[in-house]
Amino acid sequence: MRRILLICLVLTLGCAAWIPAKGVYKAQSLNFSIEQPEGWMRQGTTEYVLLTKDGVLLQNIVIRRLDIDEPLKNTKKKVQKSMLPFEIAEVIVDDISSDQTVLNLEVVENVPVNVKGIPGFRLAYKHNNDDGLKIKSIIYGFLSDKWLYLINYNAAQRHYFDRDIDTFEGVFNSFKLL
Amino acid sequence: MKKTALLFLLFSVFLGCATANLPPVTSQDFYWEEDERRLWLRSEEEEAAINKSGLIYEDPELEAYLNEVARKLQPADILDKIPFSVKVIKNPMLNAFAFPNGAVYVHTGILAKMDNEAQLATLLAHEMTHATHRHTVEQVRNIKNMTAFLAVVQVSLGGLGGGVGDLATLLGSIGTVAAVTGYSKEKETEADMVGLALVVKAGYDPRESPKLFLHLKEFLEEEDIEEPFFFGTHPRLQERIDNYEAFIRKGGPGYQGGIKGQERFIQKTSHLICLNACLDLKAGRFGFAEKGVKKYVGIKPDDPEAYYLLGEICRQRGEEGDIEKAKEHYHKAIAFASDYPEPHKGLGLIHYRQGEKELSKKHFQTYLSLDPQAYDALYVQEFLKHCSE
Repeated sequence: MRRILLICLVLTLGCAAWIPAKGVYKAQSLNFSIEQPEGWMRQGTTEYVLLTKDGVLLQNIVIRRLDIDEPLKNTKKKVQKSMLPFEIAEVIVDDISSDQTVLNLEVVENVPVNVKGIPGFRLAYKHNNDDGLKIKSIIYGFLSDKWLYLINYNAAQRHYFDRDIDTFEGVFNSFKLL
Repeated sequence: MKKTALLFLLFSVFLGCATANLPPVTSQDFYWEEDERRLWLRSEEEEAAINKSGLIYEDPELEAYLNEVARKLQPADILDKIPFSVKVIKNPMLNAFAFPNGAVYVHTGILAKMDNEAQLATLLAHEMTHATHRHTVEQVRNIKNMTAFLAVVQVSLGGLGGGVGDLATLLGSIGTVAAVTGYSKEKETEADMVGLALVVKAGYDPRESPKLFLHLKEFLEEEDIEEPFFFGTHPRLQERIDNYEAFIRKGGPGYQGGIKGQERFIQKTSHLICLNACLDLKAGRFGFAEKGVKKYVGIKPDDPEAYYLLGEICRQRGEEGDIEKAKEHYHKAIAFASDYPEPHKGLGLIHYRQGEKELSKKHFQTYLSLDPQAYDALYVQEFLKHCSE
């Protein structure tokens, strides 16, 4: 029976390895590159690149590329090419707030940014996760053709967020579309 | 259909053969079994975790009302054995569940769609019967490996969207059995029929009972959710509605009238209807959000928040004619509360998109003057800069 479960889980979740992060990383299938922070670990799939130093529950940087024709995870709202970055940010906030594991969400900031010449947004928010831990997050987002790029930093509010925010901003500033 | 078949297969791997029925707590033969005591302790831990999670909709007046209705449904000796307590969960999905220790949770989604107290009594009586008839302990005995079972529930239900799989993470193992996977057809039918008898005994109109399931049916159809998983929808909803109607017909004159309790119910749930419409809007269920707000407007026709929400629904949905309607709703909200910032932002965005820079500027400026610390103030300043170019 355990074998059946294992097969089910492996088939569903897949298995991505953790690799020590160092230097420039080109995520060919996602069409971007970043400068990786030294001492962090990286996990990559065809859907995202995930970086962490002390473990994903304490802090993580996740860079995703979403096809805007595909549904979002928690809201039925769709991102459309014609949307202003402000409106895209609204959809992303609603997707986050409709996530059952994101509790007591508070959006702190929604500001316009320029991501390598492309208009985008920067959202800052706080929430409690399903373990009751206070998490602070930042998301940079922008649209490139039919792809929505989300560069997301999540960390425990206590100690980790402030400690690693500069590292995250460094990763964001190094982000380039290939 | 394929997905349903796969889910059946996965669940059946982790479920054993049916155990013997336990007598209900109303029975002379009743006593608490050892594993049931452990289940109570676990339920109390899971209940405590839910209560401090931030999922609870805090409204003491509403909670007192729900508990008052629940207490009407059960005799005192049952309440001594199971101290029922009802709380509300902020979740737009139509669901409710009970832990074996009597902790009953009702989602805002289902409360917002009910019409009266008789429908509420039907739901509470159904959930309370799961506890009085010890359905959870019987179900848990059938699950051979709870950890593996939960893993499969989370993975397989995750695809349903709306955070159904995630909800299983939050509710714990007993909560997941009660809220997400539901019970067997026999147990659900028993809860329906025993519950209906309680509704009648408490003086409520049982003809309202099947209407609760019509709301559920409408939701499942609009959400395109396949039965039988979630909402304890074994047996299938239509079958369930038919069972109720047949039972009411057979019940004779005592089943042909009673209290509906509409006015008090609407008064107690009005704010929740508005909040749930917000949740539906965030989840992109525009139709339900609109119905919810319109129901709320029927109760509180001069609440500016309702018109603001209608404006947001129309602006974000953006179907033919929606933008003009959004403008009307925002203006109505402003007419009721001139110092309400958000409708001005909505109007600013619409005029900005339509290239009407002066009007856009006027509304964005008003928005910022009314809420200078707004979280999106920098964005609005950027819009204003473009309007001045």
